[in-house]
Amino acid sequence: MIKRKVLLVDDEVVFTKNMSKLLTDREYRVTAVNSGDAAISALEQEDFDVVVLDLKMPGMDGITTLREIKKLGLFTETLILTGHGSIDTALEAVKIGAYDYLTKPCEVDELIEKIDGAQIKKDSTEQQDLEGKIKRVVESPSAAFDLFDKKKKK
Amino acid sequence: MMRNTDGKNKMPEAPEKTGFSRSYKRLFRNFVILTVVCSLIPLLIVGWIINRHFSEFAKERMVKAFEERVDYHRQTIELFLRERSDKLRMMASTHSKSYLSNPDNLKYVYDMFNLKSPDITDLGVIDSDGAHLAYVGPYELLDKNYAQAEWFARVMKKGLYISDMFMGFRKKPHFIIAVTRSENGSQWILRATINTDYFRSLVEDVKIGQTGEVYLVNKDGVFQTDPRGVPDIMDKTSASLGPVREGVAVSIYNKNDPQSGFSNEIVATAWLENPRWMLVVKQDYGEAFAEVTHANQASLLVLLISALTILVATVLIARLMIRMIQKRDVQAENLNKQLMQTGKMASIGELSAGVAHEINNPIAIIQTERQILLDYYKRQKPLESEEFKAQLLDSLDQINIQAHRCKRITQNLLRFSRRTHSMIETMDLNQFIREVIDLMEREARTSGIKFFPELEDGLPPVESDPSQLQQVFLNLITNAIDAHEGKSYGSVNISTRTDDSGNGVHISVADTGTGIAREHLDNIFDPFFTTKPVGKGTGLGLSICYSIIKHLGGDIIVSSRVGEGTEFRLFLPYKMPASGGEGAHQSDDNHMMKKAI
Repeated sequence: MIKRKVLLVDDEVVFTKNMSKLLTDREYRVTAVNSGDAAISALEQEDFDVVVLDLKMPGMDGITTLREIKKLGLFTETLILTGHGSIDTALEAVKIGAYDYLTKPCEVDELIEKIDGAQIKKDSTEQQDLEGKIKRVVESPSAAFDLFDKKKKK
Repeated sequence: MMRNTDGKNKMPEAPEKTGFSRSYKRLFRNFVILTVVCSLIPLLIVGWIINRHFSEFAKERMVKAFEERVDYHRQTIELFLRERSDKLRMMASTHSKSYLSNPDNLKYVYDMFNLKSPDITDLGVIDSDGAHLAYVGPYELLDKNYAQAEWFARVMKKGLYISDMFMGFRKKPHFIIAVTRSENGSQWILRATINTDYFRSLVEDVKIGQTGEVYLVNKDGVFQTDPRGVPDIMDKTSASLGPVREGVAVSIYNKNDPQSGFSNEIVATAWLENPRWMLVVKQDYGEAFAEVTHANQASLLVLLISALTILVATVLIARLMIRMIQKRDVQAENLNKQLMQTGKMASIGELSAGVAHEINNPIAIIQTERQILLDYYKRQKPLESEEFKAQLLDSLDQINIQAHRCKRITQNLLRFSRRTHSMIETMDLNQFIREVIDLMEREARTSGIKFFPELEDGLPPVESDPSQLQQVFLNLITNAIDAHEGKSYGSVNISTRTDDSGNGVHISVADTGTGIAREHLDNIFDPFFTTKPVGKGTGLGLSICYSIIKHLGGDIIVSSRVGEGTEFRLFLPYKMPASGGEGAHQSDDNHMMKKAI
């Protein structure tokens, strides 16, 4: 089984440490960072399946980080995990493009459920995208060049 | 607010309340005093001044009238004496001594004199030696010689003489008018005695009230007529008459004036020209000015009545105003209480939002720690001691329980600060309540509680927030069930009723529980206020209900009797107000939310 790659973003060091351990034990590959800036640079260097993002952080906050992640144009899904149980904030995040939200504290199983959901969505989007590309290449082979170009850019 | 720092003020409200009513009393007193000073005192001063002026004026007029009357009377007396003198002089001029010396002729003249009124008592002709030549009258005076009489000397000198009252030969008070005539070089005298009774009636019979009195005194102070009372005619008055002067002098004497001998009287004096007698007219002061006094009293009475009316009106108006102010104050106080409650809610909401957020992070860590331990335990099973294993599991369970409890508190706090998404729907309130009852029925049954819904048929639909209302009813019903602690059975009555004005629905949740103590009723909607044992209640349930209902534009009140039960009465409008129940707080929350994120 391929280990899913999760990026954990939270300013609470103990929390990220513990959660990394729990997720690692459950067959996930976890990278933990403690700020929005670190998350962006991690995403630029490496592909992740799911980002678990805290909303309230010093420096770049969760919503801003989410916007930055979206700017990167990745297939990576973002899951909001926040101590702030406000549906309005979470809805804002979802509007921007987060997959879902979860309020802290939560059971690790709940988190895993959501991560898996996000994973499925990511996989299907990726699949759709791939199918779309293949379709385009089949319809017009020249489009393949674009694909390569894009790949180069990336 | 005073606090029980020294233990003396056990009931801080009691002194406050008396201070409250004392301030109203002071306000009342000040208002009355101010009005009295501003209206009553000027009224009394002006009234008194007008009254004074009026009485002075009236008195002046009275005195003037009195004066004129006395003057007229003086003229009447003078005219009488002058006429008699002229008549006598004419008789002497037109008749010779020899003619008048004949007693028959003198009798004829005497009769002519008294033809119209009994003017004279006797008439005599006297020669220059003072001997009577002829006499007509009731006395035997023909042999008398008047050579030594005072009047004889005077008339011989003046030609006409009106004497003062004197006794003479007849030993009776009388006065005479005598005229001289020169005839063939010798003088003779025609003398008439004025009818004293007739003259007195002329002088005295003037109607001047009940106490009016008229008399004459000569220059020496001898009474020429008979005054009422002790002094008689020919007595001498002790009072000084003062100098002879023209016109009428009016004086008002106080009680027992020592110099004049008058007491509480108005006295007018006028000097006759001939003889120099003083006419005295006096009247009791009270009688003379009775009308003035009466008018005076009447006006004072009117003044008094006006003053009393103003006073009574002032007191009534002041009382009315104080009552109105009191009512307004109570309203203001109630508003203030509401405002304080709202403010308290807002500030606690703010606080709790922060607390809730901060507390979630450590809880999240607690949970991950627990999970890690649990993972270790499940996978590696390193612990051989059964007791330790049991303890570890127990502790882990406890961590879980406590973490969940914290979570519940924070969720409640967050809900309290109204950080929930409102979904306004048209809902059938009766159906909604039935569902809530269904939800609670199981828990109630185990506590021996029965539900008695009394839901009005045909209740119009309500536009409100079902999720928030569900929380309200769950809280209220949970409380109602908990209120039966220690009782083996009980009931919860839930009723709905349309508002008479058609604005909304009244809902009542009444239990038969232990009730709420009076001193707790004021705090019942305060956050964190609970009478439940530690760990059982967060003290947020009712404050959440309160803020939700207010937010939905409704109202919630509580009434309770210890031992009998508690009733929560709610009002929900058919339509939520456009701005929301407490729009200001909502925007506050939004602002805060942004801060919190």
